[in-house]
Amino acid sequence: MVVIKRGAIKSFTSLERIKREVELLSELRSEYYPQQHHFNIDVKTKEFEIVESYIEGKTLRDSMAEFKEPKDIFRLLSSLTKGLAIIWDKNIVHRDLKPENIIIRPSGLPCIIDLGIARFIDLEALTKTISPIGPCTPIYAAPEQLNNNKNLIDPRTDFFGLGIISLELFLGVHPFDPNIVGNHYSIVENIMQNIYALETGSVKQNNSVTEFASKTLKTQPYQRFRNYQMLNDFISQQE
Amino acid sequence: MKVYHQTGFRDNWNRESYLNGIGDGLIFSPINIDADKLLGFDSILKVNSFLDPQLYLLNEAKGTLHTYPYFPGNLKPDFSTPDLDNSNLQIAQLCVDYQVANNFKYLVIPTRYNEDNPTSYFIQSTEFFVLPFCEYVRGNNINKKILLSVIVKPIMLSDEEKRNEALNWITSHQQVDGVYLIFENNFNSKQIKDFDYLLNTLRFISVLKENQMEVHIGYTNTEAILYSIAMPDSISIGSYENLRSFGIKRFQDIENSPMRAPNARLYSSKLFQWIDYQYITAMKSLLPSYEDFFDDSEFKPLMFKPEFKWHFAKPEPYKHYFYVFDNQIKSIPIEQICRIEKLKEDLRSAITLFKKIENVVFLDDNSNGSHLPTWLNVINAYQRELDN
Repeated sequence: MVVIKRGAIKSFTSLERIKREVELLSELRSEYYPQQHHFNIDVKTKEFEIVESYIEGKTLRDSMAEFKEPKDIFRLLSSLTKGLAIIWDKNIVHRDLKPENIIIRPSGLPCIIDLGIARFIDLEALTKTISPIGPCTPIYAAPEQLNNNKNLIDPRTDFFGLGIISLELFLGVHPFDPNIVGNHYSIVENIMQNIYALETGSVKQNNSVTEFASKTLKTQPYQRFRNYQMLNDFISQQE
Repeated sequence: MKVYHQTGFRDNWNRESYLNGIGDGLIFSPINIDADKLLGFDSILKVNSFLDPQLYLLNEAKGTLHTYPYFPGNLKPDFSTPDLDNSNLQIAQLCVDYQVANNFKYLVIPTRYNEDNPTSYFIQSTEFFVLPFCEYVRGNNINKKILLSVIVKPIMLSDEEKRNEALNWITSHQQVDGVYLIFENNFNSKQIKDFDYLLNTLRFISVLKENQMEVHIGYTNTEAILYSIAMPDSISIGSYENLRSFGIKRFQDIENSPMRAPNARLYSSKLFQWIDYQYITAMKSLLPSYEDFFDDSEFKPLMFKPEFKWHFAKPEPYKHYFYVFDNQIKSIPIEQICRIEKLKEDLRSAITLFKKIENVVFLDDNSNGSHLPTWLNVINAYQRELDN
């Protein structure tokens, strides 16, 4: 069974780099990613088309209750970073990590989908989206993505996404949600201002989760883990 | 913390000192030493050392730079920036191969000097130098640590946006192990006395250390000991002032430019100061124990003989500095907090000693330790930030 994804390409900047990236992604053979059978960019119609294997399982969005405990969260993070390291090593950034883009297989192993698609999407349009479940929603985006500062996008951008996901799993709500941080801004505005919650009325702070979030959710990339080895080291100490 | 010899003109003084056990390695300077001559050096001089590739001005063939295979002018006459589009891979290969052939401790990614450092500077540096360099190292399974050379302009320290841009760029390269930092120095005074500049420098180094990068600081003068409290991995010692303070003029092929002979000076670790020899002569007349203000070394007896003719071209004052400053750096405590307290104590002692000297000998601003109160204030401010 396969999944076919089509979409409009809003920007053709760095087309050569995008093509190289697409080729690399097509060559990926890893249980952490669906196998890509076809990935095409049509310059004339400004559309992309991906045909990839269907992955059995539930999205992390639908499995959140299974990952509430810090040890389960860090075990998941450990698997995710192992998978993501494969693309980070190739200088590729996922750019759109969120619970909807992670499928938990029946074996418990995560599979990361929609890899590289965010590369083609116009973020200016995204920032106007308020739905938390739309494709490439900005509520999991790092500040450099929201600022459209493409020069700053590197694996540390994905670290920010992992920071949000881990804290959301722990709290049960989005950590930048104005309802829990207690302000009237939107989630995106709270991300831009780096205002987030580490606990709620029903969930008390956990030192490991707090430390991980504090390090990954920094506004400036240089304040986060510098590379995935440092990220992995931290995660493995918590498992 | 290690001490590297920043070599340049009269690099034989550095090599001789290093072979006598002073310093932990050398930073070789292509404009001052022929590429083949460097290849022929004994490995003992190179195995703990590294090369400063000096592509700062791309096609400026100062000194012996043109003898290096990666010098762009050798690939194409009148090489200019647009040529990097097609030649960056070749330059990277030649630059890596030359460094590997010398078996240096580190491989250093070149950097260019840019007067204004626009945002495109970082993008181009990545495209033209960092990526091709790292990809070639990786593709050829070369197992050596990689240092990124970076010229830190004063605005990158003082302006938050520029600082963030520089730090985000430096820390973005996953395959780079460390950084060879060169702080551009536009100060007129011989010692740095600018509180904000020094504090921001300490912060800059700290961020890189927090990112677990090796931090090697080139072109340092005595402020290196102040930088030590931010826990860099190494600082440098150099003979002439242009090796203890980075200025791009050293790499420009300016014919018939006026040369100014510097006054000979002697460094004192007790005073954290180079003292103009004319004041040493005055101290000799006015202070009975004047020799005690200066460190002992094998060169001291000769320099303090009445017949010694002080001159900037004589090796003794510089070799004395290498020996004394290396010892001073090696004697600092390993723990950061102990290092800070020891430095504060030593700086206070130096200020007291200056008071004794200035009771009878008047010194100018470049010899009187006027930088010391600022250094103490910088340390206090930095320490407060650490405590918070």
